[in-house]
Amino acid sequence: MTYRVGIDIGGTFTDFALLKGDEVVLHKNLSTPEDRSLGVMEGLGKLAEKEGLELGDFLGKCEAIVHGTTVADNTLIEMNGALTGLITTEGFRDEIEYRRGFKEDIWDVRLAPPKQITPRRRRLTVPERILHDGTVHHALDEDALREACRKLRLQNVEAVAISFLFSFVNPEHERRAKEIVTQEIQNAYISASHEVLPRAPEYDRTSTTVVNAYVGPRVIGYLEKLVQRLVEGGYKNQLMVMQAAGGVMTKEYIDGAPIRVLASGPAGGVIGSAHTGSAKGCPDLLCVDMGGTSYDMSLVVGGQAPAEAGWNMHHRYLIGVPMVKVETLGAGGGSICHVNAGALEVGPKSAGSEPGPICYGRGGTEPTVTDALVMLGILSTDEGFAGGSFSLSKKGVTEAFQTIAEQMEDVGDDYDAEQAAFDCWRVVNANMSQGVRRTTAGKGIDPKDLVMLAYGGNGPAFAAIQAEDLGIKRVLVPKASPTFSALGTLVANPTIDEERSYIASAKAPDLDRIRQLWTDLSTRARKYFTDAHFDADDIRVNYQLNMRYPGQNFSLSLDYKADVPLGDLSFIGDDFGERAIELFNQRHMDEYAHIREHEIPEISGVRLAAHVETRTPKASGGFTPSGKAPTPAKKRRANLGEGFAQVPIYRGKDLEAGMEVMSPAIIEETFTTIVVYPGWKAQVDDAGDYQLVKA
Amino acid sequence: MSYELNRKLAAPREPLPTTAEIDQVTADIIRGAFETVCFESATYLGRAASSPIINQSNERNAAIVDAHGRLAMGAIGTPHLTFVNQMETRWGLMNQERYDWGPGDVFLANDPDHGGGHLPDYNVYGPVYDEKGELICIQTLQAHQGDTGGKDPGGFTLEATDVFTEGVIYPCLKLVHRGELRKDVFDFVVRNNRFATFAGDIAAMIGGVQHAAKMLEDLLAKWGSETVKAAINHSIEHTEKRMREEIAKWPNGTYEGTVFIDHDTAGTKDIKVHVACTVDGGQLTVDLTGTDDRQDLVGVWNTFANSRSYVMTQVITHLDPTIVRNEGMFNAVEIVIPEGCIAQPPPNKPAALGSFHPACEITEAVCVALSQVAPERAQPQLYKIGMPNAVIGFDENGMMWMDQGVDCRSMDVSAIQGLDGWGSCPNSLGNLILSEAEDAESRFPILNISREMTTDGGGAGQWRGAPGSLNVKQVLKPTSAMAWMVSADHPLRGMCGGEDAIPYTNHFEVGSPNERKIERTAQDLLPEGAVIAYQHGGGAGFGQPLLRDPEAVKEDVLDEYVSPEAARAKYGVVLTGSLEDYTLAVDHEATKALRAEMSAMAEAAE
Repeated sequence: MTYRVGIDIGGTFTDFALLKGDEVVLHKNLSTPEDRSLGVMEGLGKLAEKEGLELGDFLGKCEAIVHGTTVADNTLIEMNGALTGLITTEGFRDEIEYRRGFKEDIWDVRLAPPKQITPRRRRLTVPERILHDGTVHHALDEDALREACRKLRLQNVEAVAISFLFSFVNPEHERRAKEIVTQEIQNAYISASHEVLPRAPEYDRTSTTVVNAYVGPRVIGYLEKLVQRLVEGGYKNQLMVMQAAGGVMTKEYIDGAPIRVLASGPAGGVIGSAHTGSAKGCPDLLCVDMGGTSYDMSLVVGGQAPAEAGWNMHHRYLIGVPMVKVETLGAGGGSICHVNAGALEVGPKSAGSEPGPICYGRGGTEPTVTDALVMLGILSTDEGFAGGSFSLSKKGVTEAFQTIAEQMEDVGDDYDAEQAAFDCWRVVNANMSQGVRRTTAGKGIDPKDLVMLAYGGNGPAFAAIQAEDLGIKRVLVPKASPTFSALGTLVANPTIDEERSYIASAKAPDLDRIRQLWTDLSTRARKYFTDAHFDADDIRVNYQLNMRYPGQNFSLSLDYKADVPLGDLSFIGDDFGERAIELFNQRHMDEYAHIREHEIPEISGVRLAAHVETRTPKASGGFTPSGKAPTPAKKRRANLGEGFAQVPIYRGKDLEAGMEVMSPAIIEETFTTIVVYPGWKAQVDDAGDYQLVKA
Repeated sequence: MSYELNRKLAAPREPLPTTAEIDQVTADIIRGAFETVCFESATYLGRAASSPIINQSNERNAAIVDAHGRLAMGAIGTPHLTFVNQMETRWGLMNQERYDWGPGDVFLANDPDHGGGHLPDYNVYGPVYDEKGELICIQTLQAHQGDTGGKDPGGFTLEATDVFTEGVIYPCLKLVHRGELRKDVFDFVVRNNRFATFAGDIAAMIGGVQHAAKMLEDLLAKWGSETVKAAINHSIEHTEKRMREEIAKWPNGTYEGTVFIDHDTAGTKDIKVHVACTVDGGQLTVDLTGTDDRQDLVGVWNTFANSRSYVMTQVITHLDPTIVRNEGMFNAVEIVIPEGCIAQPPPNKPAALGSFHPACEITEAVCVALSQVAPERAQPQLYKIGMPNAVIGFDENGMMWMDQGVDCRSMDVSAIQGLDGWGSCPNSLGNLILSEAEDAESRFPILNISREMTTDGGGAGQWRGAPGSLNVKQVLKPTSAMAWMVSADHPLRGMCGGEDAIPYTNHFEVGSPNERKIERTAQDLLPEGAVIAYQHGGGAGFGQPLLRDPEAVKEDVLDEYVSPEAARAKYGVVLTGSLEDYTLAVDHEATKALRAEMSAMAEAAE
């Protein structure tokens, strides 16, 4: 028996998914913020115990340990990364401060600036210049560079980002600069833009490189410590790390651009969703994850969650590396309900988990979405919540909503706390539905054509009512949903997803140049995969192009040739440009519903997405009615959108595959509550997972 | 096309008649849905358009106007465009029969004298009807187009004395009839534009409107048109109430602001904009009486709708930013603009350059006036740049290309009470994504040499303005370049004792025997290799510089926003140590003494 282990570290819990044969074992234990690798080792110890093995024996049998980390995200949230300097082309010192003019709120002049990772004193420039075609216009002034290093040394920098104009076309100056900085500032972590994000334009590349330098030492330090502990514990293989692009790769690969792990946690959840959805015959999904502070939305199309490298703003910095697109709304269980100038609002401020909602009894005083669910009888105050670790209390909740009711304007005298809570439920529902529409809009997708997959502690409490609002007819709620990110790391394939800039009209592209760029990318991918002991013959590749009509700012990525062996470029022929134009026009039509007949699109970059298929947990679907009727454990007064009534309450552990629960009903599961809203029914499918369908 | 028409267009509108009653929460939910429609419409356009000013600079806006011509809900985009669209949509509404309005129609308007802004701001809109055939609302989408088919490429003619010089004018032109594109009309519009990519842009605008109109029809079907009308009424009433509550917090009185433009494009100096803001309980009146009305001025004519929009853009900056933006704002603020002044021109005046100046001086004057009652939000929402240096050439097919000069830069970000100016531009321009060197140089024969902030380029103050940048570029082929310089004699005003911004300057053919400073305007053919250098004015200061925290001044010196000399001369801060080795420290005793001395001298001078 060999094992694969997926691990995801969250703010409160560290989740584990163990794959043995076709079976998946889930485990949760508390995170250890002071040294997160300790929580990992503790959980692995528990898994070993469950398997009746010593930790060393267990780790020795692990063919892969796959890990999703929030170290990079936490570094940006806490702004405690490396003291970072930036060396850039003379004349371009301030691009990172201009942010291309972008301000997050165009209506609020009191918006404060983001904290600068590289304040102006640590942004130094050197004379050098490369032109758009790669020719050297001005040689690198090495003396000036050494002087810049002296200044950064004086300021005790721990990390240096190097970003020169057009380095993605000709990286010679950056390469030389990296050598010199390595000599001049010993022990500094150095991040060169052509290695981190080899594409235009300069702000995107520089910002990404600066953040990479800032988070790099912490990410690498953490992974090194974890690897050391795993090796000492008896693990013999490479640690695989989750990337925001949705694949996993070796620590060695991540070391080259640690920024790739930023926002990888939510990506894991989406990959887990794609896997589960596909297995249940639902390749097109709207994935919604409602946790304590946020509501994350993402799309899976054709069983895939493609990574995008566009205007990804994270923690007020632009991150240009490809990421599985996850949109976040400040709407979670802890989101605070309040009245602003007579109007009811929910969020974005959150009570978080400390003090948390009033009903947690930990000192929270402001009413939250979770409190509203308590008021509405959707969440129970009778017994254990969140796996039985503690109970919810209604103490103070009614009073808080009474205060809300009193602050509301234009309402009748009989408007009370319960109505205020109900309106909060309506508002947060509407916020989430609008958020979903905005997410699907960017893709030209109508949500009614999708299946919803709900996870996170609070997702299933709202799923069916949102589905109703969006015209969605089926909702999947997997039993493993509370540990979905860990499951995602387990099912994600080892993946390398990279691109190189190449700008030319599609009418007459330089085929030798394209061949060379794809060959270079293939060589890199081969190295990292084979170093990680994968067989080169198992590597499958999508050779892709980024294309746009002249003048368009956003390129579209398209598969020029999909699912071919690594290095097989025999598909490049004389009709290359012609076929590229045809593929692009098709892609443009899909995305925007029109093409420009008289314009020749241009190629803006070549991409390579390479992966190796790995063993993943079996998942299945289908619903075979058993004819057995479930019995509710009790009834409770609750309002599921149509006024208060006695609603049957079911316990998850009492429900078996093939059973159906008719509305209205509430199903109480470990870590989550599923609401069967009027007009819906819940079914337990053949794999033991829930699905909600229109009755 | 008269002052009388302007009065009709600006007249307050009644609420929509409806049989439905609505609660606050339902009204908010419908408003949210409308905002999403606008978001989708603007997103659609931004992604599908190819003109850099739309897809890179994001100069576009989507809004919904109701059947009475009121800005209903959900404006997404550039604030300066937000408050214009309903005026030119009203012209169409007033002529529904004449233009044979019906479901599936899409119109184009850009007429400065029929409720529009300047000609390049194309407004494409489509009426939306309920299932009974009643007109409920109109989806509008505006975007700045790179050309208007006038005398000069780009639509800006420095010496224009009428609007006909500037391009083709569309009061209300039907592009799509009952869902069918009018190909003859479309081709005519496309033919009257120099831009190679214009056809794609206008198609993207039509697509964006049609997409949104379909969504609105779905919303009407879902909620019922009576409920939707009630939601629109409710939202507008709520905004008016919120506006009045906020205004009522200000002390009653009249607060004035006067600012000047250096000169018009013909050289007439000191063009005046005067604003009196009168607060009376919850009522605010903004009166532009006293604003320049010399009829022979050239280039500085701002359309009536634009002037109203710029007043509102600045007024709401001083209020709670969470107030929902709709017609309720105009209901709470009376805007008085004398007929015939540069903010409400006679018919057929040129309109292109007026959208820069005096439009921006209107916001500045409103800000100066309201800084007396709401200093904590007193940041002018403007661009004091005359116009960016537009560099224009033609490709091998004879089609025009233009580097609009909307490059990464820093300009006009003034400080407010408690916050230094930061970033590249004032907030209201914060979704106009600026152009990058690597993109521009891949397309145009130009070389960007430098675009860094200038030390001491920000107005001094207790809170400091962001330093303006010096943008230097070289043309690699012979090209024509157009410029209009202002804000040198009258730079951006400091607030509440803060210093003014530095003056704008602009030089052509730098480093050559032909090097020259552009004093007023230029329309020159630049030889290959010519260098142009534009010093942007930066932001102005807020509050007296001598009150700035000396440690903040030291930090500014370390970051080279402020020179050691200016730290002493402007801020009265005495530093020890050296900038070269980052050992600066404040000599607090010496600073105290120097500041006392400087204060005494200032008092004596008064």
